[in-house]
Amino acid sequence: MNLVFERLRLLVSLALQDLWHDRKVSMCIAAALVAVIAPLLLLFGLKYGVVSQLQSELLDDPRNVEIRMVSSGRYDAAWIESLRSRRDVGFAIGMTRSLNTQADLVADRRHFVDNTEVIPTAEGDPLLASLSLAKPLNGSAVVLSESAARRLNVDVNDRLSLFVSRRLDGRAERGRQSITVAGILPPDVFPRPAVFVALPLLIALEDFRDGYRIDSLGVSTGEVRGERETHFARARLYAADIDQVAGLEQWLNAQHIDTASRLAEIENVKAISHVLGLVFGVIASTALVGCLASMLGAFLANIDRKRKDLAVLRLLGFDRPAVAAYIVLQAGTLTLAAYAVGLGLYGLGSQVFNQALASSATTGSVVCRLTFMHGVIALLLALLVALMVAVIGVLRAFSIEPAESLREL
Amino acid sequence: MLAIQGMMVQRGQGARAHRIRLPELSLAPGQCLAITGPSGCGKSTLLETVGLLLAPSELEGFMLGNPQQDVAILWRTQQQSELATLRARDLGFVLQSGGLLPFLNVADNIALPRRLQGLPTKSERVTQAVNRLGLMPLMEKRPAMLSIGERQRVAFVRALAHEPKLLLADEPTAALDPHSAHGLFALFMDVVEELQLAALVVSHDWALVETFGVPRFDAVTVKGETVFEPRL
Repeated sequence: MNLVFERLRLLVSLALQDLWHDRKVSMCIAAALVAVIAPLLLLFGLKYGVVSQLQSELLDDPRNVEIRMVSSGRYDAAWIESLRSRRDVGFAIGMTRSLNTQADLVADRRHFVDNTEVIPTAEGDPLLASLSLAKPLNGSAVVLSESAARRLNVDVNDRLSLFVSRRLDGRAERGRQSITVAGILPPDVFPRPAVFVALPLLIALEDFRDGYRIDSLGVSTGEVRGERETHFARARLYAADIDQVAGLEQWLNAQHIDTASRLAEIENVKAISHVLGLVFGVIASTALVGCLASMLGAFLANIDRKRKDLAVLRLLGFDRPAVAAYIVLQAGTLTLAAYAVGLGLYGLGSQVFNQALASSATTGSVVCRLTFMHGVIALLLALLVALMVAVIGVLRAFSIEPAESLREL
Repeated sequence: MLAIQGMMVQRGQGARAHRIRLPELSLAPGQCLAITGPSGCGKSTLLETVGLLLAPSELEGFMLGNPQQDVAILWRTQQQSELATLRARDLGFVLQSGGLLPFLNVADNIALPRRLQGLPTKSERVTQAVNRLGLMPLMEKRPAMLSIGERQRVAFVRALAHEPKLLLADEPTAALDPHSAHGLFALFMDVVEELQLAALVVSHDWALVETFGVPRFDAVTVKGETVFEPRL
């Protein structure tokens, strides 16, 4: 075991000393690799940086997975439930008729918002994902949009009143529900004044407008609602992810439900990703072929140049596996050195890109970046190229006989 | 140490075939033998065959080393790996132009055969040979910084560093001027005798060989074959 280790150590030491002694040629071979690795890393970094930025913008904004049902229908709870249970649906909740999704919010005499949007919500609502609510909204707990909270001058845990009006038998009536602010939604998530409520409260508002008696709103007039089934005019619907939007929208359209979504933006990002991927793929393939040819030429020429030395090594006791290991070690070392330099140059280049283009609104703060895994994959690819070249070099070196050392070539 | 009977090696095929025959040869420790003949007669080919680098076409007997290894059987049974091991362990080669590795200094070049054999880098024999050949001041130098004569001296020490049973030298003085060649050959003979090595030296320089009274095998042409026979 010790002898094997010693021989391996000797092999590594000889391979490295040979490379160092021939450092000008070694540098030329490594430089050919750097000339491919660094631009490819930069190019891929740019592609990944731009695409991932656009994709993260898509993913970060839940409105991109929203499918709006633009026409009203009549959907029962079972239909909404079946919609919710689809694998391509991330979130679905029934909504009342448009007219009934408005209410007045009043904090005090000076702070109120008329005709605020009332939006049903439940656990898993992507719009509320940024809030860490202690428990799902129920009863009188609500979430206000920042715009509404600002105008009402309220904060989390403050109480305020929700008013809704109707005309019943020629008389104007006004229902009131006391509500508590459980959270405030940032303006980038929902810019308009709105109040997010549990579904039963929204249904109560609609029932009130439809002339039913709703005790919780403090009005004792109107028809008793009884066990009548609730029907929804449409649903608040979000796909499970951006890749599911198209399919889900097609399914809804097939059921004659008119929809609107940001599918065009999603397709746009996908198209950009595809085009950049294609551009990168073609450039990378061409560069790799050039790199292979260049490395192969340089490597084989180098082996031919060192034919006598390799013959001497074989004469002194280097067997064929040792010669193969010697060449693979040299190719691997040169590749590692070239990769390290290439990575350094990528670091500098990406800094230039990120500094120069950081302020661009279209690209965001980072335009060129790679993940650790990308680095590892790039290294493995570079080593694979080196191995391919080394294997051809090894085949050439196998033809070197120890007897050649005795003859003047 | 070395005993060969009925060895024939052929280079080329058909009408262009060149047959080289060595009917009998034996060498004892401390004994040196010269193979002489004009250029192209097959001296180096013979050396390659004795050096286990070239397969003989015919071979009756070939014993090498102590304890003796039957090389003829190894050739017949095509045990290339065994032959390579035997070559690296029991033979030492002094090449025409030194054959030193340019990326190693003199000390590392000399130590390489010992390291490849798993032997300690330092040895009494190497130290003795280094001192005898005046290489001590050159140990840290690279081959490119040495004269041809110095390179040949280093190559000589490297050849005997791993304590081989047989030294094979292929025109060790060919690249030197007559004065340097004489000096190196004298040193070579001294060290072979001091260290009790067996040595086979290929040379086309008859005068040099005769000067040192080295017994020699000459190339003669018999029925279209080159036969190496003792010259009396």
